[in-house]
Amino acid sequence: MTGSVRMEGQKGDNPLGQQAESLAEKMQEVRSEISKAIVGQGEVVDGVLIALLAGGHVLLEGAPGLGKTMLVRTLAQAVALKYSRIQFTPDLMPADVIGTAVVQENGDGRKSLGFQPGPIFTNLLLADEINRATPKTQSALLEAMQEKQVTVAHTSHQLEEPFFVMATQNPLEMEGTYPLPEAQLDRFLFKLRVPFPGREDLHDILDRTTQGAAKVVISVVDGPQIMEMRQVVRTVPVAPHVQEYVVKLVLATHPEGKENLLANKYIRYGSSPRGAQTLILGGKVRALLNGRFNVSMEDIRALLLPALRHRIILNFEAQADGRTTDDLLDEIAGKISQI
Amino acid sequence: MAAREKIKSVGPVALSGPALFSALRSTWNENFACSGKQACASRVSHGPDFRDQKWPRGLHTLIDPLAAVRRRILTNAFLGGWTKLWTWILAGLIAAAVFSPKLAWAVISAGALATVGAIAAAVLTWRSRPSAYEAACRFDSAAGLHDRVSTAIHLGVIENPDGMILRQRQDAVLRAGRVNPETLFPIRMPAAGRRAIVLGVAAAGLFVYRIHYKPPIVALLQTTARSQLVQSILSPIVHAMEKDLQRTMALVNSKPDSPDDKVRPGKSATAPDDLWKANDDQGNKTEGGQQDSQEANAGDQMQEQPPSSMQGGQGEAKPADSEQQQGGDRQSQQSNNGSDRMGGDTQQQPESQDSENSHQSLSQSLMQALKNILSNSQSQQANNQANQKQPNSPGMPQSGNSRQPGSGEADKKGESRGMSDAQQKATQNSSSGAGSQQGSKELKKDQAALPVNAVPDRVALESNGFKEQTRVRMDGGTGTARLPVRDVSPQAVAVTNGAEQENIPARYRLYVQHYFEHPDSGQK
Repeated sequence: MTGSVRMEGQKGDNPLGQQAESLAEKMQEVRSEISKAIVGQGEVVDGVLIALLAGGHVLLEGAPGLGKTMLVRTLAQAVALKYSRIQFTPDLMPADVIGTAVVQENGDGRKSLGFQPGPIFTNLLLADEINRATPKTQSALLEAMQEKQVTVAHTSHQLEEPFFVMATQNPLEMEGTYPLPEAQLDRFLFKLRVPFPGREDLHDILDRTTQGAAKVVISVVDGPQIMEMRQVVRTVPVAPHVQEYVVKLVLATHPEGKENLLANKYIRYGSSPRGAQTLILGGKVRALLNGRFNVSMEDIRALLLPALRHRIILNFEAQADGRTTDDLLDEIAGKISQI
Repeated sequence: MAAREKIKSVGPVALSGPALFSALRSTWNENFACSGKQACASRVSHGPDFRDQKWPRGLHTLIDPLAAVRRRILTNAFLGGWTKLWTWILAGLIAAAVFSPKLAWAVISAGALATVGAIAAAVLTWRSRPSAYEAACRFDSAAGLHDRVSTAIHLGVIENPDGMILRQRQDAVLRAGRVNPETLFPIRMPAAGRRAIVLGVAAAGLFVYRIHYKPPIVALLQTTARSQLVQSILSPIVHAMEKDLQRTMALVNSKPDSPDDKVRPGKSATAPDDLWKANDDQGNKTEGGQQDSQEANAGDQMQEQPPSSMQGGQGEAKPADSEQQQGGDRQSQQSNNGSDRMGGDTQQQPESQDSENSHQSLSQSLMQALKNILSNSQSQQANNQANQKQPNSPGMPQSGNSRQPGSGEADKKGESRGMSDAQQKATQNSSSGAGSQQGSKELKKDQAALPVNAVPDRVALESNGFKEQTRVRMDGGTGTARLPVRDVSPQAVAVTNGAEQENIPARYRLYVQHYFEHPDSGQK
């Protein structure tokens, strides 16, 4: 993201255009607030903001101590959303996440079963170390993430919008973990890798956390504004050749195609259509955040890895050859002409 | 069905060609050309003739730079195609200048081809001209506009947009106005431009050359045809063909009134072998002496025209050479006398051998020509090696093919040329004309080893540079060429075989073969 959100041209009487411009400005302010607590990690912050405006969820993968939980908490403060955290453990049950029916006594002394909402009833949910819970508990999030509702005792309960799940997982400690199933992974808009900070960023982290008081994060936007922004994002136009590029990219990840030699060799399952939707939707948000009103090839290319890396399953040969999804996606994108 | 209904609706009165065509066209447009309204609207903006379209007012400032971009793209594409065509035309002109004696037609056809090619390139370029959308994509890519212009063009069909589309269009117009398309799309030299320039210069140079000279390939062929190598390759073939032709003619002439066909018993009159043999026998009887004399005269002519390279440094060896030439002439004359006798003796040879001698096929001639090539290269290598070994020989200032190995060795040994000539004469008197200019000791050894009827003969070869290998071994049992000998017994029909011919240098082998085989040598 360039950071330049000042839009040029004639504004006139164009409410949608003004909303788009204000969106970019607001998001820039959110970035500024987040940067008070989070040093560096610009791409991760951008990815989180894009996912927030696109209406998706984010899976953060990184070693412990890199600020994943801090990022989520800071974001919740900056956007003034209700925030809750669930520490996923092997003995965590689905009812602990979504809630359960409990016996309640009313004023007349009559007892009835009433629904006790779980921590999932929030705007911004941090599912910390999600891969430590059992698949049964992990799958409790499926309906919530996709349908924005939970069903308990044959009763569906709508979740409050915006509903935004940010899950974290540790790639190092795999013992006692339950890798997320493909269906669960596909529901995350982005899978963001949190890198280790650089030298300068590390100095900055030490200065901020060991000297004086921590800076206070101010709320810039709220939930309704985010919902408006989500509507604005969907009006961004996409040129046909950009959309064609997205289709080519997604199809190139499938080993069924005769022309996809790389996918034939290394990929067991390619990206789902959700991958293409993610690319287009994320591209729209990115265009607006960069001060544009149209999706470009650069947006698609920039979002290729976070949008598709968790939607591709490699085969044994790729693992034997030491290939990663990022390598393969880069290679596939290099082979597809943009025009 | 729809077309049929439309045609019916037009009615029988109005069922003319244009009406039928319009009905079909409208049916096609309705059913196939556009699947929906949106697709049609979208296709309008993607059409190539975007100048003719009605663009919204806000997009006019975007269309002008796109038109400039498209002009540049078309110009570069046309230049590229035309330059490729010109490259081929220039290559053709160069070929014509090299091969063809007449250039006028080549120039005229090249001009016509260039004109037609230019028209074709223009038509093809125009047919594949980019649409506004394609030009916008290229413009975006070149100017780094992040697909702003292409998106605006794609959405340009919307007459009165609002919201995000209007904002996007304004943004695209604003950004595109800051970029100069002519700097982004310069008219470049085509990829084949340098090649075309080089070919053009080469063609011009060749045409200037052709104003004064013949086509280079013709001059090269003439020079090559005069060379010894080509003559050594071609002359056996030509000679064999001539020989066959002469025999055929002789057969045709002698067939109606040949008395031998009736006289000879036990022989088929129509057998070609016999006829050939009879003709050969007659020819041997009548032309034996004449052939040999003609060969000797030819040999004299060749000896009188030594290679120019040999004339430069003859020095002390020249008188001896002239004596050797005279000796060779005398030998050839003497051999003529001997061949007169031999001509009568050849009828006593076995008929099978006679027929073999008279039927050298064309394939054998070809094989002989190939052998000549190989042995010529070998002999040249040997001569070069010998020249390298004798750079300071006092009596041998020559070098290369003009070297005289025999004289060089004689000079080394301290023997004089007079001694050599005397030995030759002695050898001629004692051994029926065969001799070697290198010395008689080796010859005597050879004579001792030969059978009785194998009489060595001195062959009248080109004297210069042939002193080392003038001996021709003769064997009555094998071989194909009859060798006229002098002072030999009537059975002595000297022949040479292929293995012995390999000892003869290639440049003289033709002469030797010509000497032995030429049928008309006795007439002169």
